[in-house]
Amino acid sequence: MIVFVSGAVRSGKSEIAEACAIRLAPVGRIHYIAAAPADDEEMAGRIRRHQERRAATAARWVVWEVPFSSRGLTASLRADDVVLLDCLTTWWAAELFVGDDWKTMKTADEAARRLLDEVRAWAGRCRAVVVVSNELFSGGVPDDEGTFRYMKTLGWLHQQLVAAAGAAAVVECGLLRVKKGRWPQ
Amino acid sequence: MRERYGVGDGSHIVWQDGYQAPYQAPDDVHGAKTVVLDGLEAAIRRVSDVDEWEKRFGDWRRWEAAAPGRTVVWIGTDVTQGIVPVDREERRWRDAVGLCYQRLAAMCSRVDRLWCGLAERLK
Repeated sequence: MIVFVSGAVRSGKSEIAEACAIRLAPVGRIHYIAAAPADDEEMAGRIRRHQERRAATAARWVVWEVPFSSRGLTASLRADDVVLLDCLTTWWAAELFVGDDWKTMKTADEAARRLLDEVRAWAGRCRAVVVVSNELFSGGVPDDEGTFRYMKTLGWLHQQLVAAAGAAAVVECGLLRVKKGRWPQ
Repeated sequence: MRERYGVGDGSHIVWQDGYQAPYQAPDDVHGAKTVVLDGLEAAIRRVSDVDEWEKRFGDWRRWEAAAPGRTVVWIGTDVTQGIVPVDREERRWRDAVGLCYQRLAAMCSRVDRLWCGLAERLK
């Protein structure tokens, strides 16, 4: 199953997604994909806070830092496990801009399709994949080609993931608004 | 789009992409039953006169009403929910988009807000 949760900056989506992943994995492990690069002190602090929150259930957490081998992750998954991707926006930026894929719409689309296939492959091998993403479509459409293609492909990924998801929701001010399916309890 | 609005069944669709080029006027579009005007906020960036847009919305509304089975679909991104831009031109554009969307929605028979492919019907 795929669970999709999106939200604005500081909306509380990570906390809600973590709680959801813990509920979905009563016995299995939680594979946490930490996709945010610790480029500066502020970001490092943010990552530390996330790590502290996870510490209580530390034994069952397996952390995958970007860049990681998606195939390696797929191979290590067991039926009771849950994958928590936090978050799609940073992982997709890392994937799209690591090489030249962003330079044409065609190669950007192909890269997005590959990424979607990877998420689907995980979902086929474990209990659930919880995907965290961001609401970043309301600040205008960027002029520069790279960012425009990033936004367009991210929007496409959101549509595909929500279409495939058993549950999809958006978090606003820490409040969960379920848009599709039943939220895992 | 085709599924949701039931406008794909054998009818000729003309898709105008506002990100690429200015829209053609109704008189310049021939043989279409469905006209989609995509990237409205980008088109408003080129021409930010709200009254001018209201006139264009009206022109398309009349084109739609002039023959049975015609549909006009407008698609725009909501760019009005970010931080208020420091740049005056950016602010004006954003205001124009919000005002145009209000006037357009008032004319439309159906308005949907889309989130990740899920439509929430507003009107």
